[in-house]
Amino acid sequence: MSRRLIAIVLAAAAALVLAACGGGGGGDTGSSTGAKKSSAPVAITLWHGQNLIAGKVIKGLVEQFNRTHTDVKVDGQIGADADSLQAKMTAALAGGKYPDVVYIFGPNVANLARSPKALDLTEAVKTKAWNWGDFFPAARQAVTIDGKVRAIPALIDSMAVVYNKKLFKQAGIPAPKAGWTWDDYRSIAKQLTNKSKGIFGTGWPGVGDEDTVWRLWPMVWDLGGDVLAPGGKQVGYGGQPGLRSLTLLSQMATQDKSVYIDKTSGSEKMYQVFNSNRMGMVPTGPWELPQIMEAKVDYGVVPMPTFNGKPVTIAGPDTWMLFNNGDDRARAAQEFVQWLTEPAQDAQWDVAAGSLPLRRSTAAQDVWKQHVAKIEGLSTFVDALGNARVRPVVQSYPKISEALGQSISGTLLGQQSPPDALNKAVQGGNKALAG
Amino acid sequence: MSTVFAQAPRAGVAAAAPPRRSWVQRVFGETPSAWLYILPAVVIIVGLAIVPVFWSLLLSVQDKDPIAETTKYVGLQNYRDIFDDPAFTGAVRHTLIYTGLFVPLSIGGGLGLALLLNRRVRFIGVYRTLAFVPVVISATVQGVLFSFIFDDQFGVANSLLHRVGLGPQPFFADGGQALLLLVLAGLWAGTSCVSFCAVVYLAALQDIPPELVEAASIDGARRAGVFRHVILPALTPVTIFLVLWQTVQGVQLFDIVYAGTSGGPGQSTYVVVYYVFRTIRDSAYGTGAAASYVVAGGLLLISLTSIAVHRLRERRA
Repeated sequence: MSRRLIAIVLAAAAALVLAACGGGGGGDTGSSTGAKKSSAPVAITLWHGQNLIAGKVIKGLVEQFNRTHTDVKVDGQIGADADSLQAKMTAALAGGKYPDVVYIFGPNVANLARSPKALDLTEAVKTKAWNWGDFFPAARQAVTIDGKVRAIPALIDSMAVVYNKKLFKQAGIPAPKAGWTWDDYRSIAKQLTNKSKGIFGTGWPGVGDEDTVWRLWPMVWDLGGDVLAPGGKQVGYGGQPGLRSLTLLSQMATQDKSVYIDKTSGSEKMYQVFNSNRMGMVPTGPWELPQIMEAKVDYGVVPMPTFNGKPVTIAGPDTWMLFNNGDDRARAAQEFVQWLTEPAQDAQWDVAAGSLPLRRSTAAQDVWKQHVAKIEGLSTFVDALGNARVRPVVQSYPKISEALGQSISGTLLGQQSPPDALNKAVQGGNKALAG
Repeated sequence: MSTVFAQAPRAGVAAAAPPRRSWVQRVFGETPSAWLYILPAVVIIVGLAIVPVFWSLLLSVQDKDPIAETTKYVGLQNYRDIFDDPAFTGAVRHTLIYTGLFVPLSIGGGLGLALLLNRRVRFIGVYRTLAFVPVVISATVQGVLFSFIFDDQFGVANSLLHRVGLGPQPFFADGGQALLLLVLAGLWAGTSCVSFCAVVYLAALQDIPPELVEAASIDGARRAGVFRHVILPALTPVTIFLVLWQTVQGVQLFDIVYAGTSGGPGQSTYVVVYYVFRTIRDSAYGTGAAASYVVAGGLLLISLTSIAVHRLRERRA
């Protein structure tokens, strides 16, 4: 008899466990209880994707928000590494249980905005509290799809050239100045290169992912090309703009052999070469400055070279995307993100994350001014924002980038001639646009 | 079930004598609580292994967009698509090349190493321990390490080549060489490296009764003869296991590609599992599921073939 008793108890326990599992996968218990008792704060979840210093700062900001706001409680989680958050978010949406606020890279916004759960913030940002016009134009552009605001700028960077003063001095080359040309860039890189000492003029990521691609856009824009042709049905980098850009890369990499090509994802190795005083110049964003300073490299920053004398660079914005978990939580999420991007908080975040101000008024904050004064070359990145362009926010961008990335990588490694590589990139891009 | 049937007539003949069986026992057999004990394991296996298998079969015939939340039945279109995709056919080719090189080299190398470690020499325990070290190195570390050593512009390998007067090699910058380097990385360390095969062979070698070897030598067999006619046949079962195991490992290659080359340069080190990873990451769930079914089908075919071969040999023996 006692065995039967045990059996029944076990069965009951198993049933309870199963029921608990089912309940956990089900849905948003948080919002339903929150709605019933109006005094309890609305709980929302944030996936910020930040590690190390940036992770600590965002954690601090979330704590600060929770302390000062009684109506909303934010649960800040990393979610995943920022690189993988888009994939994780896709899986979360498919699973039906997803956070309210997520950190998403600019090029991925258009894709995730197709979700019926992604909030449309066009009306929300019109309220005075947001002061939407205060955000830099590049930041606003990067979150606007077909005239609708689908995300909030989270971080913005621009690209400039960081150079090693010591190596320039050793090679007897004067420091580059704003207004220099790509021809100057090529010849300086060649002069800096010293094979026997293992010194490279410059570097370029060669894996063929977006890290390889985004650095090419300023050249293409400078030459009158674009990611998309007018109308958006075809790619706009074919012909002369693409050919001249790829040819320059090909000449530098295969003839001059002045380019260190990083074949691993993440471009860590390229920066390690620079930080060990073995690379003269590297086109990069402000986020690398903390590491470069830590490596005690004597560096300077100069705007991107040009073909035509008219300065142009690229801004790489990342965003906060908001997802709908019921009205209460959606409102709470907006309240949090609005607070997070206010000048005072934005300044704290930019200083720690090594990024640039999202708003004009952030740049006027004391915290930021002291920061700029402390960090060599940071002001060059901020100034570059003035002539920065962004990649178009279209759903097919990742596929276009993949096609062009393979071509750039093939050109750098000397496996494809620039015209062939360009042809393939244009075909691949058009195929992606055709769907 | 058999006990239920066996006891049913007896229950009819003498209703009073045998112990009464509750309905639980009638449904679940003599020891119903046994089912409860294995229930947690059954739930986990069914939930994490069986359900996903059928679910991904369903996915593979759908065009599912997890973001826009649309699902469309497309039949075999996903399968047609992947075979039209040069990235996938390339990945299949690279996987076959990798496996074709990796399996014989790891097994041959493992046997050689095992024979060396099977001698009675001083400090043999130390050698055996050292030989096992590569097995515990994570393949990810391995991939990163190799990408550093064999960097064409900066790596140690090229500076060594330079020192002995040889020209620099492109290594990871060249598609063909990159794949070969992955084979080398796979052989050198990780859970299915040469050392792993050596450990398995060493255990088998020590199981061979010394009398057999002694008897053969007394009968006049030389070392090569002993090896060929005594040792090798005794190792056959282990070899069959290793061929199967290493093939599965070869087909499932992923970590060193992910950490070392990301499929590059170009797509020259795309392997099938990496292809599946990329498609799922790009939220093309249907394509990914179809590709993983092709991989699973391939593995099933290999396993069935090896079992069939084994059966045939046994029947002939």
